Amino acid sequence: MTLFHFGNCFALAYFPYFITYKCSGLSEYNAFWRCVQAGATYLFVQLCKMLFLATFFPTWEGGAGVYDFVGEFMKSTVDMADLLGLHLVMSRNAGKGEYKIMVAAMGWATAELVMSRCLPLWVGARGIEFDWKYIQMSFDSNISLVHYIAMAAVVWMFTRYDLPKSFRLPVTVLLALCVYKAFLMELFVHVFLLGSWTVLLVKAVLTGAISLCSLFLFVTLVHSN
Amino acid sequence: MFEEASEVFDNMFKSSFPLTFIVFIPAVLILVSPLPAEAAHEFTVYRMQQYDLQGQPYGTRNAILNTEARTVEAEVLSRRCVIMRLADFSYEEYQKALRQSAGAVVIILPKNMSAMPQDIVQQFMELEPEMLATETIVPVYFAMEDDELLSIYTQTLTSSSSQGSLSAAEVLLHTATANGFQMVTSGAQSKAISDWAITSLEGRLAGVGGEDLPTIVVVAHYDSFGVAPWLSYGADSNGSGVSMLLELARLFSKLYTYKRTHAGYNLLFFVSGGGKFNYQGTKRWLEDNLDHTDSSLLQDNVAFVLCLDTLGNGDSLHLHVSKPPKEGSPQYTLLKELELVSESQFPEVKFSMVHKKINLADDMLAWEHERFGIRRLPAFTLSHLPSHRLAQRSSIMDARSVSPSSRHGAGEPPAGPHVDVQKLSRNTKLVAEALARVIYNLTEKGAPGDLQIFTEQMVQDEQLSAVVDWLTAQPRAAQLVDKDSSVVSTLEYHLGHYLKDVKRHYVKADKRDPEFVFYDQLKQTMNAYRVKPAIFDLLLAVCIAAYLGMMYLAIQNFGLLYSVARRITQPKVKSH
Repeated sequence: MTLFHFGNCFALAYFPYFITYKCSGLSEYNAFWRCVQAGATYLFVQLCKMLFLATFFPTWEGGAGVYDFVGEFMKSTVDMADLLGLHLVMSRNAGKGEYKIMVAAMGWATAELVMSRCLPLWVGARGIEFDWKYIQMSFDSNISLVHYIAMAAVVWMFTRYDLPKSFRLPVTVLLALCVYKAFLMELFVHVFLLGSWTVLLVKAVLTGAISLCSLFLFVTLVHSN
Repeated sequence: MFEEASEVFDNMFKSSFPLTFIVFIPAVLILVSPLPAEAAHEFTVYRMQQYDLQGQPYGTRNAILNTEARTVEAEVLSRRCVIMRLADFSYEEYQKALRQSAGAVVIILPKNMSAMPQDIVQQFMELEPEMLATETIVPVYFAMEDDELLSIYTQTLTSSSSQGSLSAAEVLLHTATANGFQMVTSGAQSKAISDWAITSLEGRLAGVGGEDLPTIVVVAHYDSFGVAPWLSYGADSNGSGVSMLLELARLFSKLYTYKRTHAGYNLLFFVSGGGKFNYQGTKRWLEDNLDHTDSSLLQDNVAFVLCLDTLGNGDSLHLHVSKPPKEGSPQYTLLKELELVSESQFPEVKFSMVHKKINLADDMLAWEHERFGIRRLPAFTLSHLPSHRLAQRSSIMDARSVSPSSRHGAGEPPAGPHVDVQKLSRNTKLVAEALARVIYNLTEKGAPGDLQIFTEQMVQDEQLSAVVDWLTAQPRAAQLVDKDSSVVSTLEYHLGHYLKDVKRHYVKADKRDPEFVFYDQLKQTMNAYRVKPAIFDLLLAVCIAAYLGMMYLAIQNFGLLYSVARRITQPKVKSH
């Protein structure tokens, strides 16, 4: 619509990242470069994923409106690479658990924000046409920040040697949920024919639930020993 | 918070050169990137006529449009694009929009014009000349209705009509939920087309026996006229005249191929262009023939000139003359033959002569025969219209109706002017009979009035109908038919099939003192962008600020959630 509208969307998308960075104390650790490294890893992992997808998953040529269930599931499985990437980032950083998780998640989420939302916002929100989707996109970026923090925490827990046996199952389930969240959302949209605002709400609730679970697990794990 | 932010950026830029490079190059690239043209709805619009005739400007003078849409119900129309539907169109409202200096007017026409009620069609037809009579500063566009456009209209209507009667809170709510539309045309400003050539076509059938044979000239203009050039299909005026001329050419070319029926009259057929612009094609043709050449059929012994105009409907025929023909002249003979044929063979046709003197003070000539009358050639126009002022001759409603029921005579006839092939064929037959009686001098030879020279099968309905269909398949406004257009070349081919010496005549306006000037940008793509008012942005900014404040508080107090989580999980851990 106008530059002002772009400013609105931009603030909505970026300020939570900034606030999180500041308030989590990452700035005091001077973790900026570590975050940038995490972002670079994100780029590398995405490139690998794209190459893999382009090589092994030919474009779906079924009729319009037909949902390729198996194909989409297989594609989501490729998102496992994200877990590997996050693990890579965390294993290269020495420090406390929280610090590692936050650095990896912040770098990862910010890289995604810059790469996949910055340009659509600039091109779309500044145009004459008004559309709620840019505001929704900004909200979505906030949700994905929470999502990546939870995911990083789960990965961190999963890769600990001293993870109690009783934790193994719930952590694995959470891990699977994190990976297949996008796939589940798509399935929801396809089955229930949700509107865009409802999708956003469902996504927020789902992400909130996953993150709360992982928070409880994390707290239990950290303070149990 | 903001000091910390600046610190981060300071760090970032001081720390290394490549990073600044990475950040700034995309930023610069992004800043110079053009805005995308992705619209809520894209549709074709047809601009109102814009032309100068004898130095006098007519029609709309503007083509550029970039304003917000309103309907006439809104209180303030200035610098807004006023959308109207044909069903609710009235001249008062149109004038109101213009008086309030609206940014533009867009009139939505229904997809199926022939399904409109009779009175609306009639009313709009009469308004068309009035809309064109004076120059209009703002752009006026016509669009064809579709579902998207209708929904845009409805949304604009609700937001326009509710203005001013709401409280502040309602207005705020309204801005968040309702849509405004920004109408934008893609084209540039309209400018005069230089060197536009209007094409006319002539062809002849030479008579036999003697040197100085009398010549009968049959004339019809092929161009159409309406409030918007791209919408003027001109079925009755003058698709019917042209198809009748082609049929006459076909009939007489057949007669002239046999020695026994080869008559002592030259027949000259002329399909003129620019007929709706004061018969420019005819004027130039006469100048070429009478002033610039030594020998021409028009210079010596012209029996009469018969102009065919608007003949595809109605049960009356009017012979328009500017001077009542004298007894004994060929003109008088034709008049008598027409009377005789219509009386004895077609009793349902009411034939009459209408006398109107040429008014040289008028800007526009009434009928095509007046061009010949000015040059002292005996001429008259045959038409089913009693007066040249009738709106049927210059309306976008004058289109070939597409519904098959009305073509076969069954069902409701369309509301506007249209061509009835049966009547066109009957009129053609009448004219052909009368012409034949003049050419073969049958009355003096004592042939009875009800002698049928052309049998039923000779005047072909299919032929007439096909020609009218083809002519009305594309708009034939004079601005759109250039010398390479398919209309001209197909007409030329048709004439060449029946006639000899088919020639083109071009008329271009004089460079210094042009008699007619046409303008371009008559068909454009219009985009309707969904927009929100500026107040909405402010409201949104406040909401986002509040949301961010809440986020800040939430993250600041994340420790609370953490300790709650710890407290809940503590006993569990102990139990392990």
